[in-house]
Amino acid sequence: MLFDVERTTIAGRAALTVRGEVDTATSTQLATAAEALLDTSPAGLVIDLSPTRFLDSSGARALVAIARRCTAGGIDLHVIAPRTNRPVRLPLELLQLERVVPLVNSAGELPSVNAGRETP
Amino acid sequence: MPGGPAGEDALLRCADEPIAVPGAVQPHGALVAVTEPDLAVVVASANAPALFGRPVAGTSLDQLLDDEDTARLLAGLAGDLAEVNPLRVRLAGGEVDLVLHRADGLLVTEWEPVGGAEQAGAAWHRRLPSTLQRLSATATLEELTEVLARDVRALTGFDRVMVYRFDAEWNGEVIAEDRREDLEPFLGLRYPAGDIPAQARALYATNWMRLIPDAGYRPVPLEPPVTPSTGRPLDLSGAMLRSVSPVHLEYLANMGVVSSMSVSLIDRGKLWGLIACHHYAGPHRPSYADRVATEFLGRTASLLLPTPVAAGEQNGMLEVAQRRAELAAAIGRTPRSLTEALTEGEVTALDLLPAAGVAVRINGQLRLLGETPPADRVVPLVQGLLAAGSPVTDAVSRVLPEAADLSGTASGVLAVEVAGGREDFLAWFRPETLREITWGGNPYTSTTAQTDAGPRLSPRRSFDAWSETVRETARPWREHEVDAARGLAALLTGTAANRAEEDNRLATALQRTLLLEQLPKVPGVALAARYLPSEEDVVGGDWYDIVPLPGGRVSIVLGDVAGHGLAAAAITAQLRHALRAHLLRAPGPAAALDGLNEVIGALLPGELATAIVAELDPATGDVVVASAGHPPVLVATAAGTTYLHEGRGPALGLLDVADYAETRVHLDGDDRLLLFSDGLVERSADGLAAGLEDLRAAVAAGPADPQELLDAVLGALNPPRTDDVTLLGVART
Repeated sequence: MLFDVERTTIAGRAALTVRGEVDTATSTQLATAAEALLDTSPAGLVIDLSPTRFLDSSGARALVAIARRCTAGGIDLHVIAPRTNRPVRLPLELLQLERVVPLVNSAGELPSVNAGRETP
Repeated sequence: MPGGPAGEDALLRCADEPIAVPGAVQPHGALVAVTEPDLAVVVASANAPALFGRPVAGTSLDQLLDDEDTARLLAGLAGDLAEVNPLRVRLAGGEVDLVLHRADGLLVTEWEPVGGAEQAGAAWHRRLPSTLQRLSATATLEELTEVLARDVRALTGFDRVMVYRFDAEWNGEVIAEDRREDLEPFLGLRYPAGDIPAQARALYATNWMRLIPDAGYRPVPLEPPVTPSTGRPLDLSGAMLRSVSPVHLEYLANMGVVSSMSVSLIDRGKLWGLIACHHYAGPHRPSYADRVATEFLGRTASLLLPTPVAAGEQNGMLEVAQRRAELAAAIGRTPRSLTEALTEGEVTALDLLPAAGVAVRINGQLRLLGETPPADRVVPLVQGLLAAGSPVTDAVSRVLPEAADLSGTASGVLAVEVAGGREDFLAWFRPETLREITWGGNPYTSTTAQTDAGPRLSPRRSFDAWSETVRETARPWREHEVDAARGLAALLTGTAANRAEEDNRLATALQRTLLLEQLPKVPGVALAARYLPSEEDVVGGDWYDIVPLPGGRVSIVLGDVAGHGLAAAAITAQLRHALRAHLLRAPGPAAALDGLNEVIGALLPGELATAIVAELDPATGDVVVASAGHPPVLVATAAGTTYLHEGRGPALGLLDVADYAETRVHLDGDDRLLLFSDGLVERSADGLAAGLEDLRAAVAAGPADPQELLDAVLGALNPPRTDDVTLLGVART
C-alpha cells in the first residue's frame, strides 16, 4: 500500500493520519479526505504526517488548500511534520509552507484542546 | 469422504451401472420380445408364462393371442406404433394393455393387466381441454408449475406431486408442489446433483416417463438374459417395465416412498426439470391411459416453458440496459470528467445494477458511493481479485481469504478494469446474504457406505430438511449485469484514451513553447540545459528560460508548477511569459518574483509554483539570485561546492505579498552554477536531503564544461522518470 489516509483522533481532535507517499497520484485523496472531514465542521483538525514517507509539491498544494479552508472556516489546523521526518519536512521548509500551514514537531506540541473552556 | 478416491470409485460404479440394460423388468407386467414379421418369441420375462397361462419360449405371439387380437396387432404394426398404444387385449387372466416399441431389431411387447390399476376415469379426460387452457393461460413460471402439480395430482392420485427444477450444477429444487394435506411440505427443498446421476438424466432426456408402482418389488429376470442376435442384454431404455437401479430403490425406501413416477420437463431439447410423484400409503399404479395423459401434460408444459423461463431471465435486464444508456450519455456529455459523470449525476454507477456500493477509480483517483469497504481496502481487494483471475465473484473470501472480514460490505464483487495503464477500475459490491438454503438432506455428508463388496452408493438415511447457512456469500451476479459493467468499462477506456491522446497533443504543443529550441547565445556565458520529461503519460510542470536583459546581463530561470498534465502545462506557459515581462521591467530578480507572485494571487488562485532566478553579468561575474520556494542553487568554485541558502522566499502563490530576498555570488574562472528542479533529487532512495548531498558530490567531482557536467550529473544521480527533471548549468567563458 503506497498511500493511506486514516481518520483518527489526536490530542482530542479530529485527525487524518497520512501514510505512504503523497504525490500527484495520491494528493487528491488527501484533499478529498480532508474536505469530507471539514464538512462535519470540527472545532479543530490535525493532519499527522509522521508516518508519511514522501511528499511532493502536489501534496504541499493540497495542504495549502486545506489550510485556506480552515482559515476561512475558523477551524484550528495543525500539521504534524516531525523534523526527524526529513523527506517530508525538508520540502515543506523549502517551500516555506509554515508561513501558511501551522507545522508542529509532534502531537505533544499541540495546545490543549480544553484550553479556555470550562471543565465540568 | 465424497471427494476421496473411494467415493469417486463408488460414484463411477453407479455411473457405470447399466440402467438401460438391467436384464430384468418390474413385476406389474410382462415383457416379450419377438421377431418381425413372424412374431417368434426371442426374449421373455420370467413372469410371462403366468400371465399367458402357458409357456412362451419357442412360441409366437399369434399362438398366444386369439385371432382377432392377432389381426389388430398385425394391422397396428403396419403403421405408427405410438398410435396403436395401448392395444387392449383379452388373455386368460383378464384384460391387458399391450404396449409396443422396437429395440435391438426386435419388437418389444409389454403386457400390463388393466386390473389393479387406478383409473382417474372418463370425467378427468373430459376436463383435459380446460386443463390445457389453464396451463397455457399462465404468465409466470410459478403459475405454470403450480397448475401442473395440481392437475397431475388430480389425474394420477399420487400423495405428493412436485415440480423439480435443475440448476446449472444439476442440483434440484422443488419449485411447486401439491400434496396430501397431512404431509410435510417439500416446497423449496433442494436436492444435490448426485441424487439423480448423469446417466439417469441422459435417459430422462429421451424417455419422458418412469413408473415404479411398488418400490419393494422383486425384479423379474429376462430369459434368456443375453439376446442371441446382439450378444448382450435387451435394451430396455424405451421400455415402461424397465427394472430400475437398486440404488434408486434404496433412495426411495429411505424417503418412505412406496410408489413413484416421474415425467421429464424438457426445455428446448435440454432436461430442465421433472414432475416427480410420490406415494406413501402403499403401491400405486395409475392406468396406462392416465400415464399417457400425464406425459401429455408434461410435454405441453415443456413447450410452454421457454416463455416464462426467458421472462425470468430477462427480469431486470431492461432496467440495467436503460441505466447503461443513461450513463453512456452522461459520459458523452462530459468526456473530460469521467469520475463526475459516473458519481455526481442523476444516475450514478451505483444505479447501473443492483448493488449496495460502487468504487470508481479513474486516473488513479478513487471515489466510493454507497456501502463499500473502507477506501484503503478497496484497491488491494479489487487488485487481488483481478490478479486471481476472479473479478466477478459472489464469494470473495473463497478467492481472497484475507478479505473475509469485509463480508459485511463485499461478499460479492463485480470488478472491471478500465484500461489505460493507470490501474483504473470500476467495482460493485454486494454484502453477505445470509442465505438460508434448504437442502433435502445434507449435500456435504458422505454418500458412500462400506459394504462387503467395497464402498457403494448409499443414499442418505434422513431426508429431514436442514437449513444450511451459506456465509460470506452474496447474491450471484447475473450475466447481463456483468455484460453491462464490462460495456461501461470499455466505454470509459475508449473515452479516456481519446482524451489522453488529445491532452498529450495539446500539452506537448504547450511544452514546446515552454522549452527553448536552442539556447540563446549570450556573449561571455556558457550555458547548458537538460530537460527530461516525465515518463508518466502526462506532461509535468517544469520550465526554464534564458532572458537577455538590457546592458548585457542575462536572467537564467528555472520553475516548477505543482501538478501535472494539461492544466499544469497551461499554467506553466502563463507563468513563464509573466516572469519574462517582470524580469524585463523589474529592478532585480526578487522584484520580478514579487510581481509573478501577484500574478498567481490575482489570476491563478490556489496554484502553487516554485522558481529560481539567477541574474548574471557576464562582464563582471556578479550573480544575483532569488528563489521562491525552489531547491537552492548549487555553486561550484575552487573553494568548494555548496548550496546557496540565502535569497530564499516562499513558494509562489503561498502568500499575498511574498517580499522576496536576493543574495549575491561571484563567478570566477571555472566556477559554475547549477540550477535544477526537484525531480532530480526528491526521489532519492534515502530522501530529498540525501539526494541533495549526492548532487553536491556529483557536481564537485564533475567536469568544468557545463554540457559535460550535466551529463555527468544525470549519469550519477539517474533520477526516476516519474516527474520532469530539468537542469541548467552556467559558467563564464
